[in-house]
Amino acid sequence: MKGKIAVLMGGRSLEREVSLLSGRRVSDALEAAGYRVLALDVTADLVQTLRSERPDAAYIALHGKYGEDGTIQELLEFLGVPYTGPGVVASALAWDKSVAKHLFVERDIPTPAWITLTADAFKEMGAATALDLIPDAVGGFPVAVKPARQGSALGLRRVDAADELADALLTALSYDTAAVVEKWIEGVELAVSVIGEGESLRVLPPVEIVAASGFYDFSARVTAGEAEFFAPARITPEAADEACKIARRVHEALGCRDVSRVDLVLDAAGQPFVLECNTSPGMTETSLLPMAAEAAGMTFQDVVSRVIQAALARGESGT
Amino acid sequence: MRPPGARGTKIGGTAIAPSPYQAEGVLCFPGKGLHMGTARIVFDRWHDRYARRLDGVRSSAVRDLFAAASRPDMISLSGGMPEVSRVPHDAVAHAARDAVRHEGAAALQYGSSNGRLQIRTLISELMAEIGVRLSPDDVLVTAGAQQALDLFAKTMLDPGDVVITEGPTYVGALQAFSAYEPDIHCIPMDGDGMRMDLLEAELARLGPRGAKFIYTIPNFQNPAGVTMSPERRRRLLELARAYDVLVVEDDPYGRLRFDGGHMKPLRSLDDEVVYLGTFSKIFAPGLRLGWITAPAPVLAKVLLVKQAADLCGSNFAQATAERYFQGTRWRRVLAELTRTYAERRDAMVAALEEHFPPEARWTKPDGGFFVWVELPLYVDCSSMLAEAVEHGVTFVPGDGFFPDGRGKNCMRLAFCYAEPEAIGEGILRLAEVVEDRLELYRAFAAAGALPAREEGAA
Repeated sequence: MKGKIAVLMGGRSLEREVSLLSGRRVSDALEAAGYRVLALDVTADLVQTLRSERPDAAYIALHGKYGEDGTIQELLEFLGVPYTGPGVVASALAWDKSVAKHLFVERDIPTPAWITLTADAFKEMGAATALDLIPDAVGGFPVAVKPARQGSALGLRRVDAADELADALLTALSYDTAAVVEKWIEGVELAVSVIGEGESLRVLPPVEIVAASGFYDFSARVTAGEAEFFAPARITPEAADEACKIARRVHEALGCRDVSRVDLVLDAAGQPFVLECNTSPGMTETSLLPMAAEAAGMTFQDVVSRVIQAALARGESGT
Repeated sequence: MRPPGARGTKIGGTAIAPSPYQAEGVLCFPGKGLHMGTARIVFDRWHDRYARRLDGVRSSAVRDLFAAASRPDMISLSGGMPEVSRVPHDAVAHAARDAVRHEGAAALQYGSSNGRLQIRTLISELMAEIGVRLSPDDVLVTAGAQQALDLFAKTMLDPGDVVITEGPTYVGALQAFSAYEPDIHCIPMDGDGMRMDLLEAELARLGPRGAKFIYTIPNFQNPAGVTMSPERRRRLLELARAYDVLVVEDDPYGRLRFDGGHMKPLRSLDDEVVYLGTFSKIFAPGLRLGWITAPAPVLAKVLLVKQAADLCGSNFAQATAERYFQGTRWRRVLAELTRTYAERRDAMVAALEEHFPPEARWTKPDGGFFVWVELPLYVDCSSMLAEAVEHGVTFVPGDGFFPDGRGKNCMRLAFCYAEPEAIGEGILRLAEVVEDRLELYRAFAAAGALPAREEGAA
């Protein structure tokens, strides 16, 4: 027996359903690899369960709030349970798209121009009187409006004209207390998955996403047939190399480990722009990271084994 | 960006089975000693093969997600589910056992397409109690009234045909109709139901026989909770006669009246009215039993369509229902259920009065399952759903009850399924969400930054 792994899934996030699918699939893969699996829906008795069951490590298959924002990571640090994926700081940095973008700019990682507005800026400081300044601030329409902290493109809207801005901001602000307005980059949508860290770091081939509706929104993410995927992406080797290099820099700049997925767009000139980095990427049958692994000749089980081994090794070395 | 022969980078080998993906049109490029390819990954290989008429029929992925979002203390004010726990399970068990014991050969066999004579007789007796005289031959038993909606629409509608409904209206009717691609025109309501002046204007615009039918839920309308007044009922039938248009009366909630006197169904005033009834609210939806009655030639056509759809309904369910409705116990159960719903309505209306902001208006239904809340026009209720789910309460945003995107500023609240205390707590949670959102909206409104919207009133 290789050890007992608590697979954390579900929880109260809006991405609960996707997380349950990821968690089930990860559990199967771990069992097949010979681990004892404790599949846990994250509820109010999580801490008690972890204390009594004393798993050797936790596999975080949670998506969205509490699972990707540092909450569960802080808790597991406190309880002394080694866990998969980026640590507290990397999770918290990546989870807030606005903070992550500031970091990208600092590290010369290309990211579309943006501004961030909070609900309090509207309620307390009259930010709604400055909507007319937004187009110039980000380089004109179209723009993407999205909640600063939310996954699966929930609350994401494309806005082509000034009279749609207020609606889109209000929608984004129903998912989070801050909204990001970002220059819309027209081009090839790519997801680049990165596994490992340091010496073991490996960048998987970019997966290209072609959404039927024009962009890869929540509906396209969960409805079969609303998006097409190409793995590896249909881009030049040079462009693919560049995208992979940038994904690696994002992974390292945020301090990620084990696994991350960097979402980018290649504009018409072939220039990549980083949109965000996901620290607990989807692991379902229709998720991007497993597609990338497949394109790289790795099985799903290979990926899961690598990730859990890294967490177990950290536990043994006490780091 | 996509020169022919473009290829991906960093390939460690070839894909190993088993794979969940169905790769299509795999393009293989000879690489430096290894095989590389770009596979088009397809999860639904048949996505381009579906009938075009289904393009407009889809559920909202985000709403499905919120519906599924569960936490232990989630209070659902969204689903219109009857409180079947109040239906005595022992009585149903007896009815089902007797159905098999005494009529096993029939209950387990195919039946006649229009339904068993015994249940059609029972239905004609139930209809007599609300003032409609029918022969069992005038009744066609369906799998809930929902199947009757589909069969009737399939019988009547060609693409582009005009159907007139109340606005808002039952989302299941919109779904059933939309598969046949009609042009649905909504007539606003007020406290007395569908506005007859607006209906008349619409009928005049369309001309005689301009619409295929007028669909109405006169009692405790879903979702608006309003009841059509006797004057409006008479006027509706006059107008339908004058413009020679069929009227379809959907009456699932008619017997769940809390206050006020008995309202005569449209069908009791006019034999030409198509009437849809159901056992779902007076017994249980799990048996899937409903019925349709229509002028004889129309019913004969619907019967043909029914045969193609499912040959016949469930004899077992019908025989069980026949036995459940023997004697008088079901009447006491129904009276008790109605009292339960009335208490819950009271709890919801009281909580709304206590907690909801002054900008909100809502209906006070005399029966049925639903309260309809209207907020200022600039509010988009679907944008409150995420926050509401976070707060542990769900509701249905109003635009789903319109075919044209109106109703965004409205929400449907179901009081049928939660206990009164839970309803009070749910409304309190929702009020906090609404107040928080309104604060944001007010900030946008004060800056003149809100786009104008068309009214979706009830």
